Amino acid sequence: MLGKRYRSVDGTIIEAIRDVSFELVQGEVLAILGPTGCGKSTLLRLISGVEAPSEGTIERDKDSTFNIGFIFQDSSLMRWRTVYDNIKLPLEILGRNDPKKVDELIHTVNLTGFENAYPAELSGGMRRRAAIARSLVHEPNVLLMDEPLTGLDEITKEVLQTELSYLIRKMKVTCVLVTHDIGEAVILSDRVLVMSPRPGTLVDEVRVQLPSVREPAVRSDERFSDYCMFIRKRLNILHPLREREPH
Amino acid sequence: MPTSRSRIITALKDRASAISVFVVVILLWQCESSYGLISQFLLPTPVSVVAELFSVTANWPAQIYVTLKEVLVGFFFGALSGVGLAVMVAESAFLRKTLMPYLIGIEAIPKIALAPLIYILLGFNDLARIIMVILLVFFPIVLTTLPGLVDVDRDLIYLMKSLGAEETQILYKVRLPNSTPQLFIGLRLGVLAAVIGSVIAEFVSSTAGLGFIIISAQSTFNTSLAFAAFIILALLSLGLYGSVELVAHVTMPWYGRKS
Repeated sequence: MLGKRYRSVDGTIIEAIRDVSFELVQGEVLAILGPTGCGKSTLLRLISGVEAPSEGTIERDKDSTFNIGFIFQDSSLMRWRTVYDNIKLPLEILGRNDPKKVDELIHTVNLTGFENAYPAELSGGMRRRAAIARSLVHEPNVLLMDEPLTGLDEITKEVLQTELSYLIRKMKVTCVLVTHDIGEAVILSDRVLVMSPRPGTLVDEVRVQLPSVREPAVRSDERFSDYCMFIRKRLNILHPLREREPH
Repeated sequence: MPTSRSRIITALKDRASAISVFVVVILLWQCESSYGLISQFLLPTPVSVVAELFSVTANWPAQIYVTLKEVLVGFFFGALSGVGLAVMVAESAFLRKTLMPYLIGIEAIPKIALAPLIYILLGFNDLARIIMVILLVFFPIVLTTLPGLVDVDRDLIYLMKSLGAEETQILYKVRLPNSTPQLFIGLRLGVLAAVIGSVIAEFVSSTAGLGFIIISAQSTFNTSLAFAAFIILALLSLGLYGSVELVAHVTMPWYGRKS
């Protein structure tokens, strides 16, 4: 059972997550869904190992290597590096040189011709594409995505959801997606864990049984709507919508 | 593509109003001199200032060399030690807590007032003048660079750590590049402060340099000479500031770009 507590600036202890326990199966795409501030991102940092839990442990399969790719909210590209240099950053840190892989990913995420552009010169969607390419360039076996498409317009978001879904299935990478977008969780994942408000605990698990390749048409599928509706209801129980009081 | 000639014409048109102000001021100054409204002891004529600029008696190249040497050596060591301390303070929460109140406190006091004390401690020599310049350069560079080293996108640090990056890699690949815009703000302020430091140091004690010329001209009421030295100092400051701008432009091609 994982738990994480922080000391805030004013000295008070904030319990971000409490008694969270789940298994991540190799090759699956797991979505963690919950309201803002429920500890989703904290959970991701615990999985990545950049932060240690206050309680509990994270056990990894002894036979497998743990090679992480990270996609963040707002893309978090280095503004002083070109698209090409941003994408090759993980290879640099790992001491590898694979220009062919960088070129291949630039092509895959449709950024050909923008290799020498700086992040400030790109649109929001292009920045996310660069961040996706950076997260995959070193061929990670676990991809951690922290609200990767938040803040994009609906059209760009849907296009990128389809492309991201295609890429992660093609690369057979195990994924953990943190989001507060119900549709995004359903379209991208095999399993959705629903979290309560802070301190975040797991309140439900939904298995998404849609075709593994999620074409845009899946959104029109009745099952897609049913999954969204079901999860929304689960979240609404946690956050009961209050009817406006009559004047 | 605009030609270089058309670019120059456009640039001149853009600056026409600013250039006009300069021309009008010089003309008014010359007119005033012709009518003798203000004594030439107090305000020399533009012509006499220009004559002084081209006179060989002041030995301008030697004076410029002395001042420029103090400015550049002091600026170099001030910037180097400023960035060094900023990095140390950024990397250590203990140093941040311990030193920051002193850094801010010392920056708030007028360091020019320390000039006589520095001469007493170090003697009336070049080293004392360079220390004066370093003192004026050091603090603005520490205080402007530090936020750039500390206020880094937290996710970038997580990314580096998740890839197994060492603290030195995080410093060289994230913190230092992130701080370059602030560092150049510090360097711009620092280079101007270096000129001030050098002139003040020469005012207090020196046998050569542009500050020495100004203080000597004051004692002989040679205002033309003082004005000429002042103009050279202004051009020197502008040149140094422009050089820092140029280095900033070359070092940060990404800065200020928009989609």
